[in-house]
Amino acid sequence: MIKTIFKRLLLLVFVVFGVTLITFILSNIIPGDPASMMAGQRANEETLEQVREQLGLDQPVLTQYANYMQGLLTGDLGTSIRTQKPVLDDLLIFFPATLELAVLAFLIAIVIGIPLGILAAVKKNTFRDHASRIFTISGISTPVFWSGLLVIFIFYGVLGWFPSNGRIDMAINPPTHVTGFYLLDSLLSGDLVAFQSSLRHIILPAIVLSFAQLAIITRQVRASMLEVLEKEYFRTAIANGIHGPYLLIKYGLRNALIPTITVIGVSFGALLGGAVVTETVFGWPGMGKYVVDSIAYLDFPAMMGFTVFISIGYVLINLVVDLSYYVLNPQIKE
Amino acid sequence: MELQPQAESVQAQPVKKSALLYKLKKNKLTMVGAVILGVIILAAVFAPVLTPYNPNMIDAANKFQGPSWSHWFGTDEVGRDIFTRILYGARLSLGLGIVAILIAAGIGLVIGTISGYFGGMIDQAIMRTMDMVLAFPTLILAMALAAALGPSIQNAMIAIALVKIPVYVRLARSETLSLRESLFVKSAQTFGIRPFRIIRKHIMPNSVSPVIIQGTLDVGDAILLIATLGFLGLGAQPPAPEWGAMISIGWKYLLDFWWYPTFPCLFLFLSAGALNLIGDGVRDVLDPRSSR
Repeated sequence: MIKTIFKRLLLLVFVVFGVTLITFILSNIIPGDPASMMAGQRANEETLEQVREQLGLDQPVLTQYANYMQGLLTGDLGTSIRTQKPVLDDLLIFFPATLELAVLAFLIAIVIGIPLGILAAVKKNTFRDHASRIFTISGISTPVFWSGLLVIFIFYGVLGWFPSNGRIDMAINPPTHVTGFYLLDSLLSGDLVAFQSSLRHIILPAIVLSFAQLAIITRQVRASMLEVLEKEYFRTAIANGIHGPYLLIKYGLRNALIPTITVIGVSFGALLGGAVVTETVFGWPGMGKYVVDSIAYLDFPAMMGFTVFISIGYVLINLVVDLSYYVLNPQIKE
Repeated sequence: MELQPQAESVQAQPVKKSALLYKLKKNKLTMVGAVILGVIILAAVFAPVLTPYNPNMIDAANKFQGPSWSHWFGTDEVGRDIFTRILYGARLSLGLGIVAILIAAGIGLVIGTISGYFGGMIDQAIMRTMDMVLAFPTLILAMALAAALGPSIQNAMIAIALVKIPVYVRLARSETLSLRESLFVKSAQTFGIRPFRIIRKHIMPNSVSPVIIQGTLDVGDAILLIATLGFLGLGAQPPAPEWGAMISIGWKYLLDFWWYPTFPCLFLFLSAGALNLIGDGVRDVLDPRSSR
C-alpha cells in the first residue's frame, strides 16, 4: 500500500516536470508574443522590452524554465497576463465552482450508470441491452458542446425551465463562503432561496458533463458483469436459491466493481476535459472558463498554472482509485 | 530459412481477414456505422458536384436564412451556405483526424518496436516517458500543447497526434516483445542482419495489424478532439469551414437561428458515432469478451 502511494507520488513529480518542460519548449518554438498582447498594439519597442523584462521573457528558455520550477516549489505559479493577479490565487477562486460541478456530474454518472450497466448485462441481447448500447455510443460520440447546446435549446430556449448561464441568479447574493460549494453553503446558512437558485443553475451543466462518463461507466459495468455472471460461484449462488438484488449486488456487482473503478479513475480525465467545455458553454465561472478566457490573451502563465493544477489533481484521484482496491478486494495485499 | 516463416504468416492473413469481414457484416449496428461513414466520405469527396456554392463565398443579402430548397441547412452570419461549409468541413475534420492518427500510429510503431526490440535502458526511458503522457487528461494536454504551439489547425492536429502516441507505443512494444523471440527473428539475427534492418523488415510488418485496429478505434476520438480544440479557439481559425470552428461561432446564435450550430454538430456526432460503431464491431469480433 505504501509502495503504491510512493509510486504514484513519484509519477506525480515526473508528470508535472515533464508536462511543464514540454509545454515550455513548444511555446518557445512559436512566434506568438505575449508581451505585445499585454502592452497593447500601439506599444513602442521600448515598452515591449520593458514588459518582456518584467515577464522574464528576455531570458533564455532554460533560465525561464528554472525560474518557473523554482516558483512552483514554493507554490508560486506566476502572474496572469490577463488578470494581472497571481495565477494560484485566480485558480483557487475558481476551483470550488469546478469541483462542485464535477462532483455532482460524477454522482449522477455513478447513480445512473451502475444500475444501467447491470440491467444491460442481465438482459443481454434484448431490446433493453441494445437501447443501452445506443445510449452509451451516443454518450461517447457526442461532443460536450453539442449536448450542452441541445440541452440549453430545449430546457432554456423552448421550455424555459432552467437558466442557461452562471451559478446563481444575479439578484440573489451568493451564500456565505464556507466550502465554496454554493449548494452546501446555502444549506449550511439556511438560505433556501439561494439553494434553489444554485440548484436550478447547476442541474443542466451537471447532466451534460455527466453524459460521457455515464456512458463509460455503463459500458464497463456491463462488460464486467457479463464476466461475473458466467463464473462458477455466481451459478452456485443461484443454485442455492439466492436471487434478486441481493444476488446481483453482493455476488455480482462487488466483483464487477474493481475493473469499473479503474475505468472511472481513468475517465476522470475526460470529466476534467469535459468540464472545460461545459463551463464555456454554460458560462460557469470555474477554472475551465478561466483558462479558455486566458487562451485568447496568450496568457501562458495561466494556461500553465491550470495544467499543473489539473495534473496534480488527476494523479491524486488515481491514487485514491488505487487505494480503493485494497478496500474492495481484501485479497490484494503486499 | 529466413523466408519460410514469413511466408507462413503472410499465408495465414487472408483467412483471418475474410473471417473478420464476415463477422463484421453480421453485426448490424456496425454496418449502419459503415454506411453512415461511407455517405459522409462520398459527400466530402464530391462536394463540388453536390453544391453550387463556394464554402467561403460571402452573400450579405442572404444572411441567417433558414433551411430551404436553395440553402438546405440555411446560411450563416455573412450569408455563406452552411451545407456547403459542412461538406468542405468534412474534408478538414475527417482528413485531419485520420492524418493525426496516422502520424501518432506511425511514430508510435517506430518508437514501440525500437523500445521492445532493444529493451534495457532505452526501453525503460521510453516507457516511463509514455507513462507520464498517459497519466494526463488527453484534452487538457492537447489544449496545453495547442496553446503552446499557437492556435492553428495544423498545430491542433500535431497536438492530438502527440497526445495519442503512447497508446501505439505500448501496443507495438508488446507485439515486439513476443516477435523478438520468434524463429524468423532469431534466424535473421544469426545471419548477422543489423538490428534496425530486422526491426524494419521483420518486426514492423508483423506488429502493424493491432496498431491499425487501434487506429480505427481512435479516429472518431481524434475528430472530436480537433472539433473541441476548434470550439475552444485553439484549432482551426475562422473562416476555415472546420466543424468545431463553425460551432464556436454558431452557438452564440443558437436561440435565434437554431440551424447554424445544429447541423455542424449533427455531422460531427454522426461521423464520430459511425466511427465508434465500426470500432466497436472490430473489437467485438477480435475480443468478444471485452466491453462494448
